[in-house]
Amino acid sequence: MKTVIRTLATVAGLGLAAAAAVVFGGLYDVSARHGHLPGVSWVLHTTFRNSVELRARPMSEVPPLTDEMAALGVRHYDASCRHCHASPGETATQTMRAMVPHPPHITDAVADWKPNELGWIVYHGVKMSGMPQWPAPREDEVWSVVAFLVRVRQMSEDAYSDLTAQPPADLAGLSYCASCHGLQGHAPNPHVPRLDILNRAYLDMSLDAFLGELRHSGIMQHAVTEVPPEALGPLAEHYATQAVGPAATQDLDPGLVERGRTLAEAQEGDDVPACRSCHGPWPDRLRDEFPSLSGQHEPYLRSQLKAWRDGHRGGGPLSELMREAAEDLEDADIDALAAFYASLPPARLSPAP
Amino acid sequence: MRRNIFGWWAARVGLLIGPAGCAGNQSMFSPAGVDALATLNLFWVMLAGAVVIWFALNGLFLYVTRIHVGKMSRRLAEAVIIGGGILFPLVVLSALLIYSLPMMGEQRAPDDGLRVRVTAERWWWRVEYWPDGATAPIIAANELRLPVDQRTEIELTAGEVIHSFWIPALGGKTDMFPGRITRMTLAPSETGTFRGQCAEFCGLSHALMAIPAVIMEPAAFDGWLREQALPATSSGAGRAVFLREGCGACHAVRGTPAAGRVGPDLTHLGGRTALAAGILPMTADALRAWITNPEAIKPGAEMPAYDHLDESDLAALAAYLMGLK
Repeated sequence: MKTVIRTLATVAGLGLAAAAAVVFGGLYDVSARHGHLPGVSWVLHTTFRNSVELRARPMSEVPPLTDEMAALGVRHYDASCRHCHASPGETATQTMRAMVPHPPHITDAVADWKPNELGWIVYHGVKMSGMPQWPAPREDEVWSVVAFLVRVRQMSEDAYSDLTAQPPADLAGLSYCASCHGLQGHAPNPHVPRLDILNRAYLDMSLDAFLGELRHSGIMQHAVTEVPPEALGPLAEHYATQAVGPAATQDLDPGLVERGRTLAEAQEGDDVPACRSCHGPWPDRLRDEFPSLSGQHEPYLRSQLKAWRDGHRGGGPLSELMREAAEDLEDADIDALAAFYASLPPARLSPAP
Repeated sequence: MRRNIFGWWAARVGLLIGPAGCAGNQSMFSPAGVDALATLNLFWVMLAGAVVIWFALNGLFLYVTRIHVGKMSRRLAEAVIIGGGILFPLVVLSALLIYSLPMMGEQRAPDDGLRVRVTAERWWWRVEYWPDGATAPIIAANELRLPVDQRTEIELTAGEVIHSFWIPALGGKTDMFPGRITRMTLAPSETGTFRGQCAEFCGLSHALMAIPAVIMEPAAFDGWLREQALPATSSGAGRAVFLREGCGACHAVRGTPAAGRVGPDLTHLGGRTALAAGILPMTADALRAWITNPEAIKPGAEMPAYDHLDESDLAALAAYLMGLK
C-alpha cells in the first residue's frame, strides 16, 4: 500500500514539475508558423462543433429572416466581419490566411451550419479562435447578420457590392453612416431608425451613450468607433438639420394603431405611463433629450421597446426613466405602441427655436 | 350619537397600557366616529367580561387549592366544576355574544349619499369621491376627507397586493384585495385630522403608507369637494418644467395635457395635508427632496429620481406644485 501511494505521489510530482516547466519555462511552442501538433486541430474543431450544436437555441426561436434584415446585416458584416472572412468573389488577404486557425472564407464558413447555430456563433464568438463575441448584451440584433449569412452562398459579387454601397458625401464619415441611414436620415429599411425626426441633443446623447458602452447595440457600438470621434458632432448636426422626410410606406393594422393610441395617451389601465408626455405629440415644449417617435419605423420601435422592457437596451443619463416606464409592457402593448407611433406623420419633437 | 360610556376608564387604562401609544390622532382609544366608539365600547365590554371570568375562575382555583383544602362534598364539587367551570363562563360569553352581534350590522349601515372609493397602491392611495348621482368620480389621492355626522360608504380595493385600510379614530379595519371590492361605512362624529395606516404588510414601504383623514363640517366639505372637481389653477415657470420633463406620463394635473394614471393625481396637491402618503409635510423642501430621490424616502417607490433637474428648475417645479391648491 505504502509503495502504491509513494509511486502515485512521485508520478504526480513529476507531472506538476513538467507542467511548471511548460508554463514557466516557456517550453511550449506558441508559434503560429509551426501550427498545432498532429490531432490537436481535429480535437479543437470537433469540440467547437459539438459545443455550438449543444448550446444553440432551437430553430423555433429563430425569427423570420427577412430581406430587410439581411440588408442591414450585410452592411454590418461589411464593416465588422469582412476584414477576416472576406466577401463573395473576394479573396481574403494573405495576412488573414496566415492566422491559426485561419478564418474561413465566408461562403465556406457558413456551410454546414443551421441559422440557429450561426446566431449562436455570431452572438457568443469562439474562444481561442479569434472570433469575437457580439459587442453588446443584446441577442436580437444578430439575426440581421444571420439573415445575410443564410443568403451569402447564393450572393453574387455585384449583389454584395450593391447592398454595401456607400453614397458619396463630403462630410467625413457621412458616406458610411448614410449606407444605412441614408444621406437625409430617412432610409427605407424599417430596421434602421429614421434620424430626420431627431434633435441634435438626442443624437449627441445617443452617440455618447454608444461610445461609452452605456447604450447597447452591437451594430451602432461598432459604427461609432468606425468614424473618428471628432466627426461625430458634425454628423449629428448634419442629421439634426435635415428637413423631415416623407412618411414611409407601411402596412399598419388600424386596430393596433387605435389600441396604441389609447395606451400612449394613458386612456387605458394604470400600469403604463403615458408615452406622449415625453415622446409627443404634446402641445408643450418637451425636453430635447427625449426622442420623437412620430413616424419612426414600426419594426425598429418594436425591437427597441422589447429591449427596454427586458432591461438590456441601456441609454443616456436619463435612461432610467424609460427603463422604469417600459418594465410592465406586454408584447401586445409593444406591438400596439409601435404601430401607433409608426402611423403618425414624421415630425421632430419640438421645432428648432 | 352613542355616549362614550367607558371614556373615563379608557383614558386611565389607556395611560396604564402605554402612555404615548394609546392617545392621539391614530388611536382607537380616542374615538372620533360612531363606528370607532362602538368598537371601543365593544373592547371595554369584552375586557370587562374577560376580567370577570378571569377573577371568578382564579378565585375558584384559589378556593379549592388553598382555602377549602381536603375532602369536598359531592354537591360542592359539582357546583364548583359545573357551575364555575361551565355555566358561569357560558352565561358570560353568551351575554357578550348577544351584546356584540348586532354591531356587525351597524358597521354596514347604509350611507347618506356619498361614496368614496379607496384603491391601495404600493405605497399610496387613490381616492375617488362619488357624490349622490355622480356619473364620474372626483379624483384625489393620499388623503381622505369626510363630512362630520354623515355616514359615507367606503369602497376598498387594491392594485397589486393585499393591503388593509384602518383609521383607528374613525372605525374598524378592512382588508383591500386586488380585483375585489370590500365595503365599510364610516360616520365621523368630530371634526379634525386623524391618521390612518396600511394595516396589512404589503412590501418594502408598508410602514410608510399612511393616510390623513380630514373630517370637515358638511358645508365646508361640500365646498372643498366642488373645488376638487375644478381644474388646476397654478401657473408660473414650474408648469413648463412639469410639462417638459414628462411628469405627465404618470401624474394627472387636470387643466393641463398631463393625464397620466400611474401615480397620484396632482391637480390639488398643494391643498393636501401631507406628501407621499402621509409621511412628509407639504412643503417646498419636502417636495424637492421627494422629486430628486424618492427611493431614499420611500424604498421601492415606483417614481424614478429626477436628480438631473437643476436648482432653478427644481425650485420652480416645487413652487408650481405647492401652488396646486
